[in-house]
Amino acid sequence: MARHSPVTGRYVTIDVDGMEYKVFYLHNGRGTPLLCQHTAGCHNHQWRGLLEDEEITKNYNVIAYDLPRHGKSDPPHNSEWWKTEYKLTAEHYVNFIVKLADALGLKDPIFMGSSFGGNVALQLALRRPDRFRAVIPVEAADHAPGFFLDWWRHPHANAAQVCASGVWDLMAPQSPEMDRWLTWFYYTQGSEAFKGDLYFYSVEHDLREELEHIDGRKCPVVMMTGTYDYLTPPDVTENTARRIKGGVYIEMNDIGHFPMSENYPVFRIYLKEALRIIRERTGG
Amino acid sequence: MAVEIKSWANKFKSLTDNDQTIAAMGKYYTCTYMWDMTDRKVIIDMHDGKVKHININPAPMDAYDFALRASAQTWREFGQPVPRPMFHGIWAASFRQDLKLEGNLLVLMQNLRNFTVQFELLRKSGVPV
Repeated sequence: MARHSPVTGRYVTIDVDGMEYKVFYLHNGRGTPLLCQHTAGCHNHQWRGLLEDEEITKNYNVIAYDLPRHGKSDPPHNSEWWKTEYKLTAEHYVNFIVKLADALGLKDPIFMGSSFGGNVALQLALRRPDRFRAVIPVEAADHAPGFFLDWWRHPHANAAQVCASGVWDLMAPQSPEMDRWLTWFYYTQGSEAFKGDLYFYSVEHDLREELEHIDGRKCPVVMMTGTYDYLTPPDVTENTARRIKGGVYIEMNDIGHFPMSENYPVFRIYLKEALRIIRERTGG
Repeated sequence: MAVEIKSWANKFKSLTDNDQTIAAMGKYYTCTYMWDMTDRKVIIDMHDGKVKHININPAPMDAYDFALRASAQTWREFGQPVPRPMFHGIWAASFRQDLKLEGNLLVLMQNLRNFTVQFELLRKSGVPV
């Protein structure tokens, strides 16, 4: 008897700002759509624990996609992308997520992302609160400078290992060794996109003067950060959440910057609380 | 309590040379680096994944590729079995604590996978400050 997972994968083609993307996504579950964004330089397998979580997928349609240039989502097929340096912008990122949600026919989805996915969750709450039931920015902040580095794709070093080991101590030492090495392994696969993703994360994303324009009462914002995250430490996330009307902050103990893949059993405790708060505020 | 320097060096060499994770991909792990613990300095010379020499009394003109410099207290935090947040790696401590990375960082990046694994052996060996 084959030991199949309930998780299935599909491709969907969408046009975003003139770019044609064939997007790969994994999904499982039924109910409220929960659209999940991986971290910079990574891919949707980071959400493997959530995708197979029977308790959550009983009530949530979990969809985890690969952003173009990551995992199984190619760079645009209608553009000579190799002739320009990849630098992700907030506008394109937001437009992509909205187009994907539209293409999949998602009604009132919750958006959840970690790291640069968490920062774009804040951008969605600012720019498109009408399109999302709520957002869960994980390991995010109004501003996260310092990680747009040439080392990520330096031709004199092994970029796969630099990216993977460069993010190693974003994880907590308490997280299971197997899961930390799996996360390391995912990071060996995305080095070409990592730096360009971090252009958005560390350079373009700056909401320090914009937070008061996010209304967490219209589109609830539940922020969660692990105590071992040195890029956006707990106090930085907490200060961001406090400046958002109705913003919620949840601190996650003994976990780091990749909570969903470095230690899912711990992450799910906090995620369930975030989903409970959203249900309480939105009814779904 | 600080570990005596000679026994620390022996223990750290043994931990490194017997580490399976380093051995699995250590064939070209070759570089020389200084750990400046303020009260103590050591220069570790790595060759093909093994400790070739630990210089426990560096002279002014002794060479190395790159250096990690921090207070003795920060190094003691590195040496805890489960370090506190922001003392749990060289990136965390350089972003949020007093660790300074100096010298030819390209060599560090070229050897980052193995160096990172080796650095965490301090959690087993303790530190000599």
